Amino acid sequence: MLPSIYHGIRRAAVHTRRTSTPPCRLLSTCDGPPVGLAHAETIFALSSGHGRCGVAVVRASGPASATALRCMAGLTRSLPPPRTALLRSISDPKSKEVLDRGLVLWFPAPHSFTGEDCVEFHIHGGPAVITAVLQALGSVPGMRPAEAGEFTRRAFQAGKLGLTEVEGLGDLIHAETEAQRRQALRQMSGELGSLYQDWSHKLKRCLAHVEAFIDFSEDELIEDGVLNQVDRSVCDLQAEMERHLKDERRGERLRSGVQVVIAGATNAGKSSLLNTLCQRPAAIVSPIAGTTRDVVETALDIGGFPVLLSDTAGLRDSPDLVEREGVRRARERVDQADLTLVVVDCARLPSDAMQATSFLQGHLRSVLLNQEQPDTVFPADRFLLVLNKTDLLPQEQRQKLVGELRQASGLPPLCLISCHTTEGLQNFLTVLHSSVKTLCGDPLSGAPTLTQARHRAHLQQCFAALAQYQRYRNIDLALAAEGVRLALTSLGRITGRVGAEEILDIIFKDFCIGK
Amino acid sequence: MLRKKLPPLQSFLHLVSRRSNHLARQQYDVIVVGGGHAGTEAAAAAARVGAETLLVSQKIHTIGALSCNPSLGGVGKGQLVKEVDALDGLCGRAGDWAGIHFSVLNRRKGPAVWGPRAQLDRQRYREFIQSELLSTPRLTVLEGSVEELLVTEANPEEPGHHRVTGIRLANGSHLISASSVVLTTGTFLSGSLFMGQTTSPGGRIGDAPSSAGLSQTLRERLGLRIGRLRTGTPPRIVRDSVDLSLADLHPPDAHPTPFSFLNTHTRCKPEEQLPCYLTYTTPGVERVVRESLHLNCHIQQDTKGPRYCPSIESRVLRFPGRKHQVWLEPEGVTSDLLYPQGLSMTMPPDTQLHLIREIPAMRRAEIHTPGYGVQYDFVCPTQLSPALQVKSTQGLFLAGQINGTTGYEEAAAQGLWAGVNAARRALCMPAVALSRTESYIGVLVDDLVSRGVTEPYRMFTSRAEFRTSLRPDNADLRLTLKGFAEVGCVSPLRYQEAVRVRDSLQDALAALQALALSAPSWRKKLPDIGMSEAKSTLLTAMDVLQYNDVSFEMLASAFPECFSPHMEFSQRLKIEAVYRPHCDLQRKEIERIQKEESMSLPQDIDYFSLPVSLSQEVREILDRVRPSTLGAATRLQGITPAAIVHLLNYVRHTGQKERRTHRNRADQKEEGDEKLCARHASLPQ
Repeated sequence: MLPSIYHGIRRAAVHTRRTSTPPCRLLSTCDGPPVGLAHAETIFALSSGHGRCGVAVVRASGPASATALRCMAGLTRSLPPPRTALLRSISDPKSKEVLDRGLVLWFPAPHSFTGEDCVEFHIHGGPAVITAVLQALGSVPGMRPAEAGEFTRRAFQAGKLGLTEVEGLGDLIHAETEAQRRQALRQMSGELGSLYQDWSHKLKRCLAHVEAFIDFSEDELIEDGVLNQVDRSVCDLQAEMERHLKDERRGERLRSGVQVVIAGATNAGKSSLLNTLCQRPAAIVSPIAGTTRDVVETALDIGGFPVLLSDTAGLRDSPDLVEREGVRRARERVDQADLTLVVVDCARLPSDAMQATSFLQGHLRSVLLNQEQPDTVFPADRFLLVLNKTDLLPQEQRQKLVGELRQASGLPPLCLISCHTTEGLQNFLTVLHSSVKTLCGDPLSGAPTLTQARHRAHLQQCFAALAQYQRYRNIDLALAAEGVRLALTSLGRITGRVGAEEILDIIFKDFCIGK
Repeated sequence: MLRKKLPPLQSFLHLVSRRSNHLARQQYDVIVVGGGHAGTEAAAAAARVGAETLLVSQKIHTIGALSCNPSLGGVGKGQLVKEVDALDGLCGRAGDWAGIHFSVLNRRKGPAVWGPRAQLDRQRYREFIQSELLSTPRLTVLEGSVEELLVTEANPEEPGHHRVTGIRLANGSHLISASSVVLTTGTFLSGSLFMGQTTSPGGRIGDAPSSAGLSQTLRERLGLRIGRLRTGTPPRIVRDSVDLSLADLHPPDAHPTPFSFLNTHTRCKPEEQLPCYLTYTTPGVERVVRESLHLNCHIQQDTKGPRYCPSIESRVLRFPGRKHQVWLEPEGVTSDLLYPQGLSMTMPPDTQLHLIREIPAMRRAEIHTPGYGVQYDFVCPTQLSPALQVKSTQGLFLAGQINGTTGYEEAAAQGLWAGVNAARRALCMPAVALSRTESYIGVLVDDLVSRGVTEPYRMFTSRAEFRTSLRPDNADLRLTLKGFAEVGCVSPLRYQEAVRVRDSLQDALAALQALALSAPSWRKKLPDIGMSEAKSTLLTAMDVLQYNDVSFEMLASAFPECFSPHMEFSQRLKIEAVYRPHCDLQRKEIERIQKEESMSLPQDIDYFSLPVSLSQEVREILDRVRPSTLGAATRLQGITPAAIVHLLNYVRHTGQKERRTHRNRADQKEEGDEKLCARHASLPQ
C-alpha cells in the first residue's frame, strides 16, 4: 500500500496527453498520431514546511520544468537568467487565472540540486495558494507530483550529494515514506478511500478482461461481449472521475493540521489532558474506567501551528462491544498520528527506576501493538510520554523519578504533569510546541490539501489514460490495453500497485481458460 | 535455410550413431542432458558460441520430438519463437520447415500482440532438428542415460558452494568431464505417469524413466529445493473414425507467415496446408468425468497443475454446466491421427473412449493412444541466477520444465539462454544479461528467478510491461545485433541480414520524416482519407502513416519516387509508425530499469551482517531470494525504497573497492597464472 518511489518499476512512464486535447479524434474517421508528447517525467513538490509560514517554496525538476516556468510565469519569449530571482505573476496555464505573485528561479541542468533542469516558485504560504499552484503544475503535460524522496534520489543519482548526505538518504526516504503512508492511511480510511478502492477494483477487472481477450480469445470461449462490458465500465469510470474532478466541494471535511493523538490505558487522564489543553470540557471526565469510547477531536492552535488533537478510548481488553470498537478506533488513530501523547498514571509506576523504565517500555509497546513492526525502536519524534497525576506522588519521589527516567535510554522524551493542579503544564506545552514545530517543518505531514493535490494529479492522469483506451479501442487493442494499464498505474499510486499476477488471478477466476 | 536439403533420415541416424561410437573425447566444454526443446536449443546455442558441446539423450530417435501438442507459437509464445529465432535458435526455422497450417492469431488486435502459430508435422519437425544438430560444428550427440552429476568443491574465486565437473553415464562407470552442464530433463526428473488407477515411473509414455541418481544428486548432494508439478496429454484419435462434418472447419491463413526472419516463405505451400476443426463438449462429457472420478488417481492428487492448460476433468469440475472447446488438430501430412486439444485426461482408457464418444463428431471415434498424466520434480527457480545457473553450484545450468515452466516455446527460450551462458562460462567469457525491458526471454527468466513459480509457468503477453515495444515484428532489431556483438550466438550471415534490415528501415523512416506537406496538400494527394486536421503546421509522411486508414502502399503510390524503394518493409514501417510515439514514451522508464539492472548484487553477500540499516524482515527477504541485481531487488514484495537506497549505496562502495582489487589482480597477472585471471574476468562485476 505504500506509495513509494519504486512502485513505478512495473509501469511505463507514459504520460498521455492531457484532457485539454480535443477529444474530437474519437469521432473522426481517421485517427491521427499523438502529438506533443513529453519524453521524460518531470516531478514537482512543495519543498518548504507548512503551517503559518510566510513563504512557501514549490520545486520542479525534469525536462518539462522550463515549459512549466514559461507558461505559469508568463515568460513567452525567454527564460530568466539562471539562478536569479524574478518577480512574476504566477497563473494557471489553462485558465490563465492569476494564482499569486511571487519569485521564480530557473536552474538549468546540470547546475541544480538534482542535476536536471529545475524551477522554484517562491509563493505566499497560505494553503489555498499552495494547492492552486500545485494543481496548476499538475496540469502541465509531462509533470507529476514527486514520490517520497524522489528529488533527493535524483540528486543522488546525478552525484550531487556528499557522502554524509548519502548516508542519511535512506533514513530520509524512510521518514518521507512513513509520512506519506500515514497521510494515505488517513485519506484512505474515509469515504474517498472507498471510492478510489472501488475505481481500482473496476479498473482491475477492465484490464483483466481486455488482457484475457488479448491472450486467450483465439483459443478459448471468450466472447466479444467481454469487450463491450469493458467499454461500458470505462465510460462509466470516465464519467465518475470527471464528475469527481470537477466537484469543488472536495467530498470530505479536511482534517488539517498536525495530527496529535492522546492514547494510553484507561483512567490515565487522557480526557483530562485534552480538556486542559483546549481549556474547555470538550470530553467527559469521570473516575469510571472506559468513559471515553469514541474519538473526541478538537482543533487547536499551539504556538501558531495548527494541531488536530484527538482523545481516544483507553486501551484495554473489554467484553463490551462498543468499547472494543472504541479501542479499535484508538489504535487506528495511533497508527495514523504524526505525534502520539502516551499518557501514564504516575501512581501506577513502580518506585524503582529500573523497573519503572521497563514498565514504561512495555507500556509503550502495548500502545503500539497494532503497528506492523512491533519490535522497532520508537522514533523519538513521534511519541511523547506524559506522566500524569504527579500531584498524587510525594515531592521527593517525583524529583527522583524525573532525574532517573531522564537518564534512562530507550524512552521517548517525557513530561510530568498534573492535569488536576496544572503543575508541569507550562513545561509540557513548551515540549509539545517544539515537537509540533519540527513536524510542521516536514512538508509531508499533516496537510490533507497537499495529499489531495497529489491525488488529483494522479486521477487526472488516470482519466487521460482511459481516453487512450477509447481512442484505440477499434484500431489497436494492444495500445488500447496500454491505456487501461496506465490508468491503473496512475490510480495505483493512490491505492497501491497492481502486479501482473493479480490481473492473471482475475482472468482465471472469471474465465475457463484452457491452453 | 529452407533451400537446404535434409539428408534422408536413415543415413542421418547412422551418421549420428557412428559419431557416438567414436566418442573421441572424454572432455567437453559443455554437456547438455536431454534432447527436447530446451536441450536441443541449449546444445546448438552452446556450439554457436564456440564451445565443444556434447548432447546426451536417452534415445537419439526422440531428439526434437513433440511430446504433446503438434503446434508451435501462439499469443505470447509466438513472441518467444521469434526471439529464439532472432538469436539464431532452431525452433523458428524448424516450425517453418514442419508447419502444415499457419495462422497469425490476434490479427485484429494490434501488431504488438499478434501471435504467429503453426500446426506441425511431428516427423518433419524432428527431422529438421536432428539434421540441424548434425550439421552444427563442435556439437556431438550421444545416446545414453546419465547416472549422476560429478560435483566437487567450489572454485573459491567464484560464489557458490559446489562445482560441477561432468557426468557419469549409466552403463558402467563412463565419466565425461565438462566445465558446464545444462540439465533439461523435462518431465523425466522423478517422473511418474498416471492413467486411471495405475501409476508407473517415467516422463513420457514409451520411454524409460531417467535415473533416480540425478534427482538424488540435486536434492541431497546440492541441497536444492525441489517441488512437484503435474501436466497431462490427451488421447490421440484415429482420424478416419471422426465425423469431421459435425465439427467447424478452421482454415489456415491464405498466405502462411514464416516464423523465421531468414525465411520469406514456408516449406508448405499455401494450398497444401491442412485445416483444423473445432467442436464442443456436451453434458455427457461432464457426466463421464464425474462418474469416473474414483478411478482417477491423477486428478485426486493435489499437486499443482497449470490453470491455463487444464485437463478436461479440472475444466468441468471448476466450470460445470458449460460447453468447452475441443480443437481437432492434424498431427502431420502423412499421419492418420488427430490431436484433440482441450481433452487432456487421465482416466482409465475405456472411460476415455466413453468420454470422447459423448461428443457428436467423435461418436464412433477410436483411440490410438490413450491420454495420461505426468507428475515430475522441478527445481524452485529462485535458486538460479539470471544466467539460469544454479547459484550454489558453479557450472550447473537448468532449462525447461525442470524450472517449473510449461510449453515448447518457454523451454526453447530457456534452453537457448542456458546454452549461451554455459558456453560463455566454459570459455571464460563474461556473463551477459538479457533484460525484461528488451525481450520476452528476459521477462521469462526474470519472472522465474526473482519470483519463482507456484504452478507451471506459461508466457502471456500481459506479463510483459513493455509489450508495445517488445513486438514480434522487431525481435530481430532488438536481439540479433546484440546476439552477434555481445552474446556471440548469432552467425555472421544472420547478422548481415539484420544489419541490412536495420539500415533499410532507417533509410525508409528518414524518407518518411523528410516528406512534409500541409494538411490541404495531403488531402489533395490522398483524397480517400478523412483527414480532419485543421492545423497550419506541416505533417510529415511519418505522421500521416500513423493514421488508421493510411497504408505504406498508399504513400508509395502517391510518392513513388520517395517510397517505392522501401516496399519490402511496408508492413514493418506501418507498425513502426503507429507504435513509435508510444515506444518513445517507454524509453525513459526502460533506461531507468536497465540502469538498476546493471548494478549487480554479489551472490555471496551476507545480508544478515551487512553494515547498513535494514530491517530484519527486509534482510530475510533478500537472503531468501538473493536478487542478482538492484533492479531485481526493487521488484521484490516487501522491499522498501529506503532499503533499496541503502543497497544502492552499499553496491556503489563495494563496486569501487572491487574495481580496485581487480586492478591489483590484473597487475599480478604479469607474474603468471593466466587462467586464474581469465576466470576472474568472467565474474560479474
